[in-house]
Amino acid sequence: MPYGERESLCSLITTLIVTLLFLWRLSGQHEAGLFATPEALQVWARSVLILVAWSIGIAIVVAIGFHVGHTVLTGEKPDERRDERDHLIDRRALTFAWYLLSFGILGVIIALALGATALLAMNLILGLCALSEIFKDSVKLWLYRREA
Amino acid sequence: MAAAPGRIENRIRRLRFDAGEMTQKDLADKVGVTRQTLLAIENGKYFPTLELAFRIARCFGVGLDEVFTYHDD
Repeated sequence: MPYGERESLCSLITTLIVTLLFLWRLSGQHEAGLFATPEALQVWARSVLILVAWSIGIAIVVAIGFHVGHTVLTGEKPDERRDERDHLIDRRALTFAWYLLSFGILGVIIALALGATALLAMNLILGLCALSEIFKDSVKLWLYRREA
Repeated sequence: MAAAPGRIENRIRRLRFDAGEMTQKDLADKVGVTRQTLLAIENGKYFPTLELAFRIARCFGVGLDEVFTYHDD
């Protein structure tokens, strides 16, 4: 598996773990009634900041795990070279993800105009970020496989 | 009106064979790309930049038109 493909898979797994962590933590706080107070947005923002810090740790652990796993399974040091095809695939995937995020944010603005709360809008934007990241990595994996 | 897209073919596999059965990995290392990229180029799934195309041609000591050919269909 080339470096770019492995990196995409690694990123996809990290995003899925982090998204599940966010869902678990924020839904737990919602059920506990922490978002039913006037400081709901502050509580939400603090939780998200803590989760972002956790995410960085998870990303490092997954990357190390992948690196070690690859070395153990194949018995060779992974080729970490990136070339013009990797950059092209990056740009294509990023463009798709950017479209998704842009239209999604437009959807959130429409939801706000129709009476959605600011907290719901922030959660939707957070979800959109995760979705666009998952979409980007999936497109990259698809492009790597299609052009193999 | 935009011109209809043509077809680009390459003779990399043949040239590798003629160059003492050079492996994809060897050629990839010489031109500075991954083996997967070279495989994609050989299979016509990816078209290299002009710079990489020149590097591949130079590696075999031939002109660009001996590696890549363009066909109007």
